[in-house]
Amino acid sequence: MKRIVKYECRRLIWNRFFFGFLGIFLFYGWQVLKHEVLPGVAGTAPFSPWSFGSYLSRMAPFLWAGTLLFLTFFTSRKARRAAVLTDASPADPRRYGLARCAAVLTGAGLLTLACLGEAAFFYGRYVHWGHWETLLAPALTVLPPVLALALGGGWFLGRLRPWLVVLWMALPFLWMALPLPSALGIWNGSFFAEYPLTLGSLDPGFSLPGAVAAAQGAALGVGGIAFWGSFWGNAGRGG
Amino acid sequence: MKFVRLFLLEFFRLLQSPFTWLTALATALSPLAGLLFYQPAQAGTMATQFLANPALAGGVCGGIFFALLTLEELDRASRSRVEVLADAAVPPRHLALLRLLALIAAAALCFGVTAALWFPASRRLIGSVFDTGDYVLAYGLFMGLALPLSILAASSAYQFTRRTDLSLALVAAFSGLSLTVWAGDWQLCWLNPSVWALSDDFSNLRIFRSVAYIRLTWLGALEGVWVISWLFVRQWGKGPLASFLCGIRRPLGPLLALCLLAGSVSAWAAQPLVDHSNPDLTVMTFDALSMLEGVTCSRRSAQVFPDTHAGTVSGKAVYQLQNRSGSPQTAALAVNPGYSISSVLANGTPVPFSPGDYEEYNEAMAEVTLPADPQIELEVEYGGFPQESRSMSTMQGRLEISGQYLCLENSALIPRLLNVSPEGEERYPTSVEIILPSHMTVIPFCASEAAVTAVHSDGTSTWSYEYTGSGGILYAGDYLREDIFAGGLSIQFYYGRKHQAVMEAAGAAEAIQAVVDYCTEHYGPLSFGADGSLKLIQSRVSGGGYATNGASLLDEADFTAANLNDQNKGTAPGEVMIHELVHQWWGLANMFAPGDPKDPWSAEGLTCYTTYRIAKELYGEDYAAEHYVNPWKQAVEDYHRNFYVRNPQYLSILPEEERLQITNRLAELRQYCEMPLKIRKAETLVGGEAAMDGILRGLFQRELDWAYPYLTYEEFLDACGLEKEELDFETNCEI
Repeated sequence: MKRIVKYECRRLIWNRFFFGFLGIFLFYGWQVLKHEVLPGVAGTAPFSPWSFGSYLSRMAPFLWAGTLLFLTFFTSRKARRAAVLTDASPADPRRYGLARCAAVLTGAGLLTLACLGEAAFFYGRYVHWGHWETLLAPALTVLPPVLALALGGGWFLGRLRPWLVVLWMALPFLWMALPLPSALGIWNGSFFAEYPLTLGSLDPGFSLPGAVAAAQGAALGVGGIAFWGSFWGNAGRGG
Repeated sequence: MKFVRLFLLEFFRLLQSPFTWLTALATALSPLAGLLFYQPAQAGTMATQFLANPALAGGVCGGIFFALLTLEELDRASRSRVEVLADAAVPPRHLALLRLLALIAAAALCFGVTAALWFPASRRLIGSVFDTGDYVLAYGLFMGLALPLSILAASSAYQFTRRTDLSLALVAAFSGLSLTVWAGDWQLCWLNPSVWALSDDFSNLRIFRSVAYIRLTWLGALEGVWVISWLFVRQWGKGPLASFLCGIRRPLGPLLALCLLAGSVSAWAAQPLVDHSNPDLTVMTFDALSMLEGVTCSRRSAQVFPDTHAGTVSGKAVYQLQNRSGSPQTAALAVNPGYSISSVLANGTPVPFSPGDYEEYNEAMAEVTLPADPQIELEVEYGGFPQESRSMSTMQGRLEISGQYLCLENSALIPRLLNVSPEGEERYPTSVEIILPSHMTVIPFCASEAAVTAVHSDGTSTWSYEYTGSGGILYAGDYLREDIFAGGLSIQFYYGRKHQAVMEAAGAAEAIQAVVDYCTEHYGPLSFGADGSLKLIQSRVSGGGYATNGASLLDEADFTAANLNDQNKGTAPGEVMIHELVHQWWGLANMFAPGDPKDPWSAEGLTCYTTYRIAKELYGEDYAAEHYVNPWKQAVEDYHRNFYVRNPQYLSILPEEERLQITNRLAELRQYCEMPLKIRKAETLVGGEAAMDGILRGLFQRELDWAYPYLTYEEFLDACGLEKEELDFETNCEI
């Protein structure tokens, strides 16, 4: 199975698409860092958890779209036609599905690392700063729910209809424009700009109100359940 | 013929696709977004709200929809697995070109229908100030040209990558950047042009020129990119590189791409609309030039010839100079960076001159060598297309020159002597002659009156006037004049002819009377230089205004039908109008030293405070608290919270461009929010509004020291009997 994971990873990552998308992703990230993060979000430092969280929120739609674009390798009509052959092979479909999932996660993980690495380079260059441990909390708050919901929902919808993945891909771009309730503020970035102002202190430490934590937990949970449903509901076929 | 037949086939095939009709329908509805939620142009004029924003929204949404249609169409053959058959029937490159043209034709058709559909709606919404020419240009430039740009971008992305997903990501990022992080750079906004306002009462040629320029620059660039991507179109089953190598065997394609890219890069770099002034607004080297010893100027005259069709100006300025130094000297002249000096004569003899590269505050410096003659008549011929300041590049349109409106400010009117002192008196006299279409009224932005001295057979007239000063501002347009008497002043109120019905219905003249009466009663009558008269000039929408001796500018946005009838503000016009009127008392130039722009003490502090007081009197305490005091408090708290204010060491390590962006924003905040809040705090400490009115009245009417006639912060504190520290805020702005 390791060989299959390795093969799928190579298929997903070692191609024009990945490097092209990475280039777009990094370029967009640099523009966000320079124009939005450097002035500081909510009066905090550009390297505060709030500014960094805002950066991650702005990057989340692209991370989401990137993850789902990886997924289209396995949910497209072409992949479904090839599934006739893979289904006929003696491999356990669940394990095969997990191997593919691991490959998608690897791709998404590389994009995430690129996003974090770019911020590290930016902070080092512009403000000569490198205390990365303080940024772990916003990263864990923003990224796992985004990746889980993108992957779980995408995998689930992709099995139903391949074009539903494309609709799912457009979702974060839609909610960036919508006035979401404050509990979902992380999903359009408003939480990081507004919540620290309500804490009544300068440079407040990172914290989450219960509603936001619950929303992030719910996103993680829904993503996980959708993912589980995709695999164990129908033996991972098509995915 | 075959190409035309194939094009028609492709075009009609495209029209049979349901996705095309869906795209067309969505595009036709997209101007609705500009009325409801996507409103990038912020000015309050009717044309901005009901023409610019719908057209911009139509461009953005329509562009995105047509980009999606392009990707859908280009991927169709591959998706249906008939690519081999299609390639066998028509060469792939021919087909790519045909598809592009068919898509652009479909976009043009869709745009035509959309513009026709929205015409009656816009006409009804904009009302009496609707202008068909503006409608056609706004829809054509803001919306129409966005569609081919998006099609070119999407088509190029697909031809390079041959993958829909990657092309989608590329188009999304390219569009996203234009809409978000590039939105502050007028040259980078390829999808959503940088338009902040359209005028109701006057022409909009300058902003249309700016958008057309950027649209054409991007069109050239994307066409160049498209031609390169066209060379990558896969043929004969080869990969991208092999196809490209085949494609460049014929030099026409690469040469065309090179020409288009080189042309657009040149157009980008040599754009004529915005100057290259030093972005550091704290640097004022021109004002710091030391005066020439023994050289003075006794008089200046100018003949100015605006070309209202081309938007250019040419002119001849004559300076009467005295050189008592006995040796040649180098005089410095400030001109608008868009102008060039074509000749300089001293006493009829050509003298050397050199244009400078450095620009600052929308001026470039040229140096002229003066002869050693004791009396010099210096004649300077200049002209060109005036450029606007880089710091206002996203708010272009101020230097409009057309048959309806004209604004020439300082060195855009006449070159300004930088290092020559006036002879004898404080300022030298200047006489101006200007030739303009006869229907335009010339209004000097000073106490002087312009008069027609000649009427020409070509439908133009010569106007002339005199004033004293080294600068000078001139407005001209299709104006009406209304005379108002208030606060002992004779006020000449000039406003656009198109606005007559709205002004009369709203009683704007009565509102002006109320403001002038308030300031006169509280602070005293205007005493400086205007001989009891004041001109109030409605300018083309400019986002603010300014005042000088005997004249004040009022933005047309404060007089729109919507603004004047805003029930939340009572029946009086908007507060920006009040603000600019108040500058007559707390003048921009008359009473405050033009010192460090970072200094929070400026004319804006007292002007904002007085505007708040008038709003409080007109609309009540709650309104004033909600719209003035609370936003000030919030802004000051934000200022004190700001990381760079608390940790300036981080500011100092930032690159200059980023540092300036931050410091300029903070400085403005201190002048417009922190200082009025301090004055309000002082009001509480001195015993209330009546006591503060008394203090301000005393300061306003104080005996001036002409060696330094400026009102300082120390004088204000002394008059209040307060120490500086007593007015300081830390983080809590509660009073």
